[in-house]
Amino acid sequence: MTTITTSQTTPSTLWSTIQKIRSSYLWRRLAKALFSIWLVATITFFVIRAMPGNAVDILIQELTAQGMSAEDAKNQAAALMNIDLDQPLAGQYLDYLGNTLRGDLGHSYKSAGLSVTDMIVQVLPWTLFSVGLALLITFVVGIALGTIMAYKRDTWIDHLLSNVAATLDAISPYLIGLLAILLLGLTWKLVPIMDMRGAMSPGIKPGFTLEFLTDVFRHVRVLLLVYVLSSIGSWMLQMKSNTVATLGEDYVTVARARGLTDGRILTAYVGRNATLPLFTRLAISVGFVVGGSVLLETLFTYRGIGFLLARSISERDYPVMQGVFLIITISVVFANLLADYVYGWLDPRVHIMGEEN
Amino acid sequence: MAEPTLSVRDLSIVYQARRGQVQAVRNISFDVERGEAVALIGESGSGKTTVGLGLMRLLPATANIIGGSIVYRRYKNGSNSASRETEVLALKGDNLRQFRWRECAMVFQSALNALNPVLRISEHFADTAKAHGYLSGYRQGTALRERSWQLLSMVRLDPERVWRSFPHELSGGMRQRVLIALALLLEPQLLILDEPTTALDILTQRNIMDVLKELRDKLGFSMLFISHDLALAAELADRVATVYAGKIIEVGDVRTIFRRPYHPYTIGLIKAVPTLTSDKSSLVSVPGSPPDLIQLPTGCKFHPRCPLADERSQQEEPALIEVEPGHHVACWHWTHAREALKAYRAET
Repeated sequence: MTTITTSQTTPSTLWSTIQKIRSSYLWRRLAKALFSIWLVATITFFVIRAMPGNAVDILIQELTAQGMSAEDAKNQAAALMNIDLDQPLAGQYLDYLGNTLRGDLGHSYKSAGLSVTDMIVQVLPWTLFSVGLALLITFVVGIALGTIMAYKRDTWIDHLLSNVAATLDAISPYLIGLLAILLLGLTWKLVPIMDMRGAMSPGIKPGFTLEFLTDVFRHVRVLLLVYVLSSIGSWMLQMKSNTVATLGEDYVTVARARGLTDGRILTAYVGRNATLPLFTRLAISVGFVVGGSVLLETLFTYRGIGFLLARSISERDYPVMQGVFLIITISVVFANLLADYVYGWLDPRVHIMGEEN
Repeated sequence: MAEPTLSVRDLSIVYQARRGQVQAVRNISFDVERGEAVALIGESGSGKTTVGLGLMRLLPATANIIGGSIVYRRYKNGSNSASRETEVLALKGDNLRQFRWRECAMVFQSALNALNPVLRISEHFADTAKAHGYLSGYRQGTALRERSWQLLSMVRLDPERVWRSFPHELSGGMRQRVLIALALLLEPQLLILDEPTTALDILTQRNIMDVLKELRDKLGFSMLFISHDLALAAELADRVATVYAGKIIEVGDVRTIFRRPYHPYTIGLIKAVPTLTSDKSSLVSVPGSPPDLIQLPTGCKFHPRCPLADERSQQEEPALIEVEPGHHVACWHWTHAREALKAYRAET
């Protein structure tokens, strides 16, 4: 009896497993994410080759101009851009995909011999550190100030903060950066100008030493301030409007009627519901952390990924551009995925299909 | 006779609006005796909800209590004299917080949105207990659970199912019953019910009414029932007060009010309710709409809608006078209102 049942259920179990995978939300989302990444990689590949004065030809031209023979130039270009030029475009494309899958993003042809992967790995930590820390500070401070504005609605403190937030939100980050350098560095002389250049002082050995850590902090502080100032306005305003809306909810009135303490109402009833939508934004912002800020990193010569991207664009270092775009795409796509899951986890009303049972 | 659990005297509440002051509650006085159920009946905009919120001191910032007093008396079990008298309007800070829900709980109209969407039902009970100094150790946690489950069964819910649920997993009727159970957690002496069944369908409404009646029989709390629905009020209340333009215009025993209403507005309200036995032609609505509370009519506030209004009604506002024991009316024409209205309806 048992054996019969088993043999009968085996195929259906297998089938239902396949069905489960097919219908699973996670798998579908993951497939979509991979598709987006593939699409961006493909578009980048073809766009770079379809640009007027195609990148490979330009490189060959430049190399020949430096006195290299046509054959050598072609070979070197192929090696640098990690493509076989004798292959038809489709073959080159397949090679590129294969290499990318193995984590080989080709070689920079301006910083001769350096692999793009290595270059990115070198600058990525600085961006993750500076933009990530700034995002964290912005989130926490923005939420706190937004809540205060909502609780003190229509008092002078709300008017003051609202205006400051709206102004900060309207000014371009680049301008805030320039103003910071001008005011802090030159007019008020609060921060030594040298601290605003680069991520650390030359000659300092990286490591878990107090000297290194203080140096890193001294170099990042103004950039951090500019990041926070340029993005905190919209967080404050959004948190304020969320909190005002939540304060008007019936469950807040009922919580008051139930005699709950103000602290409990603030955190579990108002705060939690008002911050919910912001977590999605936070998770999506995490994706853009990797992109860093091209303008601000250039302004502060902060050698992060934005700086690298800006330099590769100005130098027409296509393999580097290609690699950086790919990394940014991957992180944004996965941050979106993360946002969905974080929300489903924080808000019990949102049930991600296929997650139950 | 013991003193009432709740005595409201000359309570006046205004809202500050751009156009001027909204006189939502004007000199209202009433008592709720121990174990008694009083119904406040009126159209929307009559100020009845403002009274309820005022009793809990939950009025929005734009509202102002400009006068009157609300005295609440706490009785110990079995004792016949009040052990403590509280002036609700003088309560501040923690005392006010402790007064809410422990002495006087409120069930709101908005059943669907009264519970925090991100907290489980169990957490709502725990929050309430904690806020009032219960539930600090594990043993009290078990006690809380036992007590809550008992209450949830009393409101005809399956505690096992409901306890770990989030609000959105329950229907509107279930949520309202959860709120009623939650209201009784701290054994308040007074329960304010503000349109507790309005947002619900008719069968759920029936169910909630039965639950409320049952609970009151079992637990013996006093009740202030705020509604626009006379039929529901009749079912639950011992005494009924009709509210019009922020004032009580008629109050009396529920039977008296239904059999011998004297105020034209109360008469109109009763006539506006269809019954199975009455034919359609006897159904009338009160013509016109509630008055503008910023610019109130002169004299009797009901006079623009009243077929019996005369010059006196337009100039002088009638006071609430006792026309028979326990039955008060504020109308110049109460002596002949019913006959006159009958004649008036026959004409038109």
